[in-house]
Amino acid sequence: MSTITVLGLVLLVLMVLVGGKAGAQSFLALILNFGLLYLAIVLVAFHFSPLIVTLVVGMLVLALTIFMSSGDDLSSTVAFIASAVVLVVLVLLIVPVENWALVQGFGPEDSEDLEGLSVLVGIKFVQVTTATAILSTLGAIAEAAMAISAGLSEILEQHPQVSTTALLGDGIDVGKQIIGTTFNTLFFGFFGGFLALFIWFTGVHYSFGEILNDKIFVSEILMILFAMVSVILTVPITTWVMTRAVAGQRKRVGKQ
Amino acid sequence: MQVLKTKRGLLWAWLIAMVVGGILVWGTAHDAALYRDPIMQVTRVKTGKASKETDDFHNVDYQTKQVLSGKILNGKYQGQRLTVSNVYSYSQAMDQKYHVGSQLFVVVHDHDGQRVTATAKDSKRDTALVFMVWLVVALLLLIMQFSGFMAFLSVAANGVLFFLAIVLNGSTQGAQVLWIFGSLAVVFAALTLWLVIGANRQMLITLATTLGGTAFSIVVALLVFHLTHERGMYYESMQYVTQLPRPLFLAETLLGSLGAVMDESTDIISSLFALKRERPELSANQVFKSGRQIGSTIMGPLINVLFFIFVADTFPMAMLYLKNGNSWGYTFSMNMSMGVVQSLISGIGIVLAVPLASFLASRFMDKKVTA
Repeated sequence: MSTITVLGLVLLVLMVLVGGKAGAQSFLALILNFGLLYLAIVLVAFHFSPLIVTLVVGMLVLALTIFMSSGDDLSSTVAFIASAVVLVVLVLLIVPVENWALVQGFGPEDSEDLEGLSVLVGIKFVQVTTATAILSTLGAIAEAAMAISAGLSEILEQHPQVSTTALLGDGIDVGKQIIGTTFNTLFFGFFGGFLALFIWFTGVHYSFGEILNDKIFVSEILMILFAMVSVILTVPITTWVMTRAVAGQRKRVGKQ
Repeated sequence: MQVLKTKRGLLWAWLIAMVVGGILVWGTAHDAALYRDPIMQVTRVKTGKASKETDDFHNVDYQTKQVLSGKILNGKYQGQRLTVSNVYSYSQAMDQKYHVGSQLFVVVHDHDGQRVTATAKDSKRDTALVFMVWLVVALLLLIMQFSGFMAFLSVAANGVLFFLAIVLNGSTQGAQVLWIFGSLAVVFAALTLWLVIGANRQMLITLATTLGGTAFSIVVALLVFHLTHERGMYYESMQYVTQLPRPLFLAETLLGSLGAVMDESTDIISSLFALKRERPELSANQVFKSGRQIGSTIMGPLINVLFFIFVADTFPMAMLYLKNGNSWGYTFSMNMSMGVVQSLISGIGIVLAVPLASFLASRFMDKKVTA
């Protein structure tokens, strides 16, 4: 058996042992997410618009991740709507910044990997890089939105009559608790992935100015920064969606 | 920070952030004097006719030549007017299209002081970078205030440590990469948890869980590597590798999963401490059970976070492989297999941290937790 298969089986067994049915469900969500990511790549290779593919696949990934983990209906629905809003806002930010920074495609550091490959493939790489940046933050958006909405729904359970203005403050408070550790997840996740690249930079003795303007470096750092912006924005947006949902619920109850 | 509680104070804070951002962006757009390499600002663009290119795989692309006229902004040739030519393609994978106002690095060729010509090198990108850094810091401070500042501080401190470790790794020619980043992981975790939680028993338990979970996952991974003889792992497909790939891969995985394991153990253990504070009568077994419950709801989304970070990055290269007539399977092996292995190892660490956190918290929490 290949290493991937065995590691996958170990993970599945552990997830079921620790989480039971929820664990199995999360594992299934992970596999489906991989399928969606690969599908996105194949669709873009077939000349579908990268941005539209990313938006559709992004929504599906968010729905899958959020609804397949355990959580009550209200908090899952709120988390999904909020993360979908964040996704749209993020697209509006990433598209102009990627066009401005000109970090699309590959840099001189990639030449060895590109040997023998034709890069003139007729697909706009600005859009491909934009899609990459959006896809890499999807997990973080879903996770943050779920944490905030779960925290708020717990507060609502304990104090059902809490006012919507107080709830706004509570949401930011929950956000303050998670932001430190979430940032570190992103920092280590991305920097772990870029370790080889950073070692390259120091080994080849790039000057400080060269690094700050290097296509690959800027592109990777921008990805981390986009992820951080999306996590920060998730906090007020999830809170706001939750207050709207609660206000709507109360109005309906009031009418009856 | 009290000022930010009032509406007026908040308005001022946003206003100041805007002004600071404006100054930073304007400043980096005019910082050519800080660079040694000559920078040209484009004042006129003459675009040629596009020519059609078809490769062996029937991919159609268009290449266009543009002639850029502009002025050198810095150095010996400051003020010199020059023209350079640049070729860009429709897809712009390895090239870029410049516009009026674009700034780019050029290489100036001086022909014995008679005539000066130049060739385009690369685009200047620091302005966009500074803009995004500003956006993150401003949003963090304005929305999260003090907690945002602490989050920023811990990321900045870790960034500095990371940089020092890379320099150290360079000075040992990469022979000790796993040891350097392994010990760095311990320092990272201790520093971050100290900043986020403070120095107390809760922090020690969280630290022990973080290190234990990460170490376990690496041990499991090595065991599986040994049993399967690393079949289906293509170290040669790793990008930017300048030293022995295997220890480097393990160091990358170790660092990558550290943050997520830390995130998870902080969540579980702080919830358990809060639970014990509210209901001191709970037995160790009951605490363990709640810990497992909390952990099993957050582990799935966390594994997802890392999965997308590790694997989405391979999108452009994987797509290029497909466009160059490679099969789906080969494209996966050569681009995504290492990222998937990394996600799986991190996933194992994240799952193992759940029982570990619950166990350590339930046994080593003070009998009476004081707030």
